Amino acid sequence: MLPGDEKVVERCLQGDDAAWEMVVNQYAKRIYNLSYRYTCRRDDAEDLTQEIFIRVYQNLKSFRTESGSFQSWIMRVGRNLIIDHFRRTRRFQQVAGTEEMETMNLKDDTLPSPHRSVEQSEASRFLSDGLQALPPELKEAIILRDLEGMAYMEIAELLAIPEGTVKSRINRARLELARLLSKRRLQLGMQA
Amino acid sequence: MECAHIEERLSGYVERSLPHQEMVEVAEHLQECPGCLNLMEEIRSILVTCQAFPSLEVDTALIDRILIRTSGKPRTRTLRERIRTYFLQPILTPRFAAGAGLVLLFVALAIDLMAPRIGGIAAVLSPGEMLRQMDRGVQKIYSEGLKLNDTKNDWQARFTFYKNDVFRRLGFMIEQLDVPVETQKKPAGPKQPEKGPKQKSSVSLFPA
Repeated sequence: MLPGDEKVVERCLQGDDAAWEMVVNQYAKRIYNLSYRYTCRRDDAEDLTQEIFIRVYQNLKSFRTESGSFQSWIMRVGRNLIIDHFRRTRRFQQVAGTEEMETMNLKDDTLPSPHRSVEQSEASRFLSDGLQALPPELKEAIILRDLEGMAYMEIAELLAIPEGTVKSRINRARLELARLLSKRRLQLGMQA
Repeated sequence: MECAHIEERLSGYVERSLPHQEMVEVAEHLQECPGCLNLMEEIRSILVTCQAFPSLEVDTALIDRILIRTSGKPRTRTLRERIRTYFLQPILTPRFAAGAGLVLLFVALAIDLMAPRIGGIAAVLSPGEMLRQMDRGVQKIYSEGLKLNDTKNDWQARFTFYKNDVFRRLGFMIEQLDVPVETQKKPAGPKQPEKGPKQKSSVSLFPA
């Protein structure tokens, strides 16, 4: 839990709007990016982010510090809603790295040079295509670990599975993806 | 060591989270097995690509929507946003741009017209010259003040002279006047002859 998160939640429960705004500002980017990684559509990601925060706001009372960090709790709520959305629509796109990358809001300090940008865009697209072919649980492992940069323990907490299982699942996902991409490279005559 | 055994440890090897002994074993195997080496290189490439994935910035309008739909209050705007919303946005309009363009044109024309005199103007506007001008101005004001003071003293002296002259003349004129003093009339009886000369009385209004 981030320092002060518990107090911020308490303040939110007491009706402090400033505290709630702080929570939204702190986690919006992470939730939005997570939604985007799964849906790969900005409009869907925005709708999901909105839904997730509404759900969080309505269920703040059910948050218990004993059951884990506030961040994990928010991420769990977010993930559950994203999965629901997937079940409803059955349209999880390829993971971020598509045509939309060219028009999305990037942080200024992450903007690469045009040449490098094209290279990265190509690599991202290639990877996204590979991820699309993975089973959902392996794809999720890659998203949470390699794209979202979450720690093994956080993922274990989020998915409610042992840390060892998380590690093996991530390893399996990487191996699957590596084999897949290697095969595609051979087909396309590309170099790694 | 078998390839399957190595594959289980490839993620750990790439992340350098394996114990030292296992790291050595995996490294040795990779030197001998091109298949596992390719797999390891591919995983490394995946991780590099994943790290290069850009992070999306959240639109402030989305934050506003979330806050309005939850707490019912819009987002607190920073000073920068307030300046942009209430000052820059109204200014940065086509109308303002046209106005600014016209002003620039006017200034350019004015400078062009004043170009021949620009040297003289610049000399006048130099700090030394400006100080001299200020000094001259102060001296002029001071001398005007002195002149005014002299005029005032002159008028004051004249007024005092005429006033004293008038009072002196009045005093003299009053002295020349005879003012009779009224005595009590006797009711009856023969008229007594006057014993002496008639009394004269005069009142001096002003001291001699």
